[in-house]
Amino acid sequence: MTDFPSNDRRLRFPRKQASACVLFVSAIAFVMFCVAPARAEDAPQKPLGDIPIMHEEAAAADLNSVYDGPWEFFVGGGGAAVDCDGSGFPSVFLAGGKNPAKLFVNKSTAGGPLRFEEKPLTFDTGHHELEGIIGAYPIDIDGDGHMDMFVLRVGGNLLLKGGPDCSFTIANKEWGFDGDPGWTTAFAAEWEPGQKFPTLAIGHYVDRHAPGSPWGTCEENSLYRPQPGDKPDYSVRTPLAPGFCALSMLFTDWNKSGTASLRVSNDRQYYRGGEEQMWKIEPDKTPKLYGRADGWRHVSIFGMGIAEGDIDGDGYPEYALTSMGDTKLQKLDAEESGKGEAPVYRDIAGERGATAHIPYAGGDQKPSTGWHSEFADFNNDGLLDLFIAKGNVEQMPDFASFDPNNLLLGQWNGKFAEAGAEAGIALNRKGRGALISDFNLDGKLDILVVNRGAPASLFRNLGAKVDDGPPGPMGNWSEIRLSEPNPNRNAVGAKIAVKTGTRTMMRTIQVGGGDASGHAGWVHVGLGTAERAEIRVQWPDGEWSYPYRVFANQFVVVDRTKAQAAYWYPGR
Amino acid sequence: MKKAAMAAGVAIVVSGAIGQVHSASWDEKVFTSHVDFDAVAKAGPEALPALIERGRQLFKAKFTLEDGAGRPKATQAIVPTKRKTGTNPPFSRTSGPDSNSCAGCHNDPITGGSADFVANVFVSEGFESAAFDNTDPTFSSERHTIALMGAGLIELLAREMTADLQRARDEAVKQARVGGKDIHADLVAKGVRFGSILAHPDGIVDLDQIEGVDADLVLRPFSRKGVFASIRQFTINAMNIHHGMEATERFGVRWTGTHDFSESGVPDAVTPGDISALVAFQASLPPPTVKQDLPDDWRIAADEGAKQFTALGCASCHIATLPLKSLTFTDPAPYDMAGTLRASETERSIQIDLSKMPFASQLQKNEKGEWLIPLFSDLKRHLMVDAQVNALGNELQAQRFVERDVFLTPRLWGVGSTAPYGHRGDFRSLDEIIRAHGGEARFARDAYLGADKEMRDDVIAFLRSLEIKAP
Repeated sequence: MTDFPSNDRRLRFPRKQASACVLFVSAIAFVMFCVAPARAEDAPQKPLGDIPIMHEEAAAADLNSVYDGPWEFFVGGGGAAVDCDGSGFPSVFLAGGKNPAKLFVNKSTAGGPLRFEEKPLTFDTGHHELEGIIGAYPIDIDGDGHMDMFVLRVGGNLLLKGGPDCSFTIANKEWGFDGDPGWTTAFAAEWEPGQKFPTLAIGHYVDRHAPGSPWGTCEENSLYRPQPGDKPDYSVRTPLAPGFCALSMLFTDWNKSGTASLRVSNDRQYYRGGEEQMWKIEPDKTPKLYGRADGWRHVSIFGMGIAEGDIDGDGYPEYALTSMGDTKLQKLDAEESGKGEAPVYRDIAGERGATAHIPYAGGDQKPSTGWHSEFADFNNDGLLDLFIAKGNVEQMPDFASFDPNNLLLGQWNGKFAEAGAEAGIALNRKGRGALISDFNLDGKLDILVVNRGAPASLFRNLGAKVDDGPPGPMGNWSEIRLSEPNPNRNAVGAKIAVKTGTRTMMRTIQVGGGDASGHAGWVHVGLGTAERAEIRVQWPDGEWSYPYRVFANQFVVVDRTKAQAAYWYPGR
Repeated sequence: MKKAAMAAGVAIVVSGAIGQVHSASWDEKVFTSHVDFDAVAKAGPEALPALIERGRQLFKAKFTLEDGAGRPKATQAIVPTKRKTGTNPPFSRTSGPDSNSCAGCHNDPITGGSADFVANVFVSEGFESAAFDNTDPTFSSERHTIALMGAGLIELLAREMTADLQRARDEAVKQARVGGKDIHADLVAKGVRFGSILAHPDGIVDLDQIEGVDADLVLRPFSRKGVFASIRQFTINAMNIHHGMEATERFGVRWTGTHDFSESGVPDAVTPGDISALVAFQASLPPPTVKQDLPDDWRIAADEGAKQFTALGCASCHIATLPLKSLTFTDPAPYDMAGTLRASETERSIQIDLSKMPFASQLQKNEKGEWLIPLFSDLKRHLMVDAQVNALGNELQAQRFVERDVFLTPRLWGVGSTAPYGHRGDFRSLDEIIRAHGGEARFARDAYLGADKEMRDDVIAFLRSLEIKAP
């Protein structure tokens, strides 16, 4: 291809980066570690496609929530985006740490400014259940059509049963769940074959009460499989040991086998000899860790958040693992994995320009601290982008203080180009979890970032940056919702293949990952210049649907029981 | 959009921003300058004559390698698609590029018109097996050239019909939500029924009963299948398929990461302004007319044939006139999507008031003051084959979700000037193509065959009187 330097300012000389060992001291810890050298081979690429303008409007939207508290709440800081009133618009439940969690019902109109209305949560039984909340993930556990939530807490977790009009009640007792007490910092769920209800994986951080805490006291994690019966019963716990202070978990079908494994990203700050983990979770079998004999390689990072995305459309997902310092972008090694027989991954973050290891703005050259990570297409060009929430743990002097969130836009050459500053998300806040969702149902993904010690940021995607003029339209899009008969009515684990021409964009319905944050509802896919697309669904039981032919810029409802996809239109 | 512009010697405003003029007076190159969209839009009506003339020049131009013609590394697909291997030859009669001029095909009886069978083109999606050297329908659908006369009026009708259909859908959704019960709504636009939808209280709309229009209820009036919403969209596709000239609004750096997606050696070969010139030319093409100098026997037969045309049922799809509220043609069009310039991507649109065109005085109006556009079509797609009558079922490929044996009702204005007939031009006479009508048109075809010869001749006399007027 021919490149023209006037519009393509890619720089070809390599950037020199040296390893640096740093001693950092914080209120809770001092640790020596080395910042990995950046492996970027080229200087940062300038985005060539549309840059979305992200307009921060949390205050105007009446969304006011602060995540804060003592050291237990240095981590976490998430929430859930969920259509809890049947409007199709995602409302949000936000953790507050020491502050009470809040529920904000989405009152936006399609394409309009964002607007939320706080709805008091009434499930507090006098035990301060609204406090100590780390994050949340939406999931319809009992299959009644109302989204439930798993709420991560310091102390005991909550299973919130959803009802009409965004009502929630604590269902721990009803569903035989003891809360899995501890310091919960990660969660993931899936439906195992033949099960009426989901299997829950819960990740813990350090045991604050153990001698020597925090170092070397990572609690073991837990797996709760539903027990036989007509209602959820999570009375039996299976330990996932050893635990290495999990900060993110994700069920993922890494090798297209149809059986998901459980990836766990661990914060190496507090363990000894630990590493990133992946558990083999097979039906009716005891979970088993992938080890060296399986091909799993030792990777030790300050694991913060897992994101899954098939950035090259080969059906095998890539994983973005945030950390302190550089982000890992793992790709299944084509030669050594044997087409998915062994989980051998190589890091391609450097070659793809996705290390995001130091702030891109503000001049601070200290290492970044990455938290929530998520792949999504923010400019609707058909390429996956990568959002990373950033923020100093608290006052760690050897890490960047001004550490803006990343918006790494996917480029046609397979690389990523930073656009956070131009997009307007480079605020001086300590980002943690994030909810990426189309809050005003205009086909463009918006971002909510939960910040530590500051109000949550709410960025409305206004469209493409056009010189100094008003934002312009971006590419075409499709937003898809799946449904199938119970169990698993929202098709958790399903894969969606959206084909335009010779390109296929993959999405997976997942519960887990990121930083204590999850969203349910419309699955967004950017279509670029395509005005038509064929959607195929691999349902959770492995069966592929026939192609659904859809037009761009529509909300598409794929009901497994119906031959044709339906369109959906917002009511306001 | 780029605002820099310089005034040329003519009223049209052009930009030399992309390629400076290095041409001699005998140069074969077409693009010695490019039209600046914003400047033209800002200039208003006074720029239109020059814009239309520039469009005529581009329509007749023979593009050269220096203009960026050919698409060595790209396919003919509607979305930017790279060839998997190899390099396109300069021309390929089958998979294209198959012409270096629009007028190479659209020339009968005048520029913008139809063509003989020899100018057929081969339509394929351009994704898998994009390159082929075989006319077997396994690889492509062979298509006869459609006359573009009256294209602006056709697009305006489609826009108004789209608005009607989407309004009906929105109202059904609203009623279902407010009333809390399912709402069944007929989809009718300008008297043409496009089936129905079922709106549920939760906002879901069942689309199973839609007929003859796409599920997004955008009426696409161009091509044999009705898959292009606008002249602009059609033009961008045709420029790529037939000439290998790639418009920046679809193949440019914004959507492909490069200024020269096809690797022709010429960056940003076709600007939005250039496309607008082609749009303006086509949109302002006069519609076909009715022969006025008929001998008495033909005139009498044609008058009778017009009545029989209705009586036999032909007019149930080939509706004589459709009413049009406004003759103001705006470019960009309202229902185009990313990859075709959208109004929201411009500061202002180019407006072409077709009522100021000489042909407008020939158009009649109804009692509501609406213009009656005599296109003899319902702008709807129909199944055209059945078990017994299936001569029109000779394609093997669906095209952009439209099944192989479903076609848009051809506009019969000018049909007397556009033989041969049928989507492939398989039929030399009007009688032959009428006999080939099956499927949803079977009843009218059977009525025609059941009529006596004199009656059938009258119908032919009527159809032969619908002409594209040539000087």
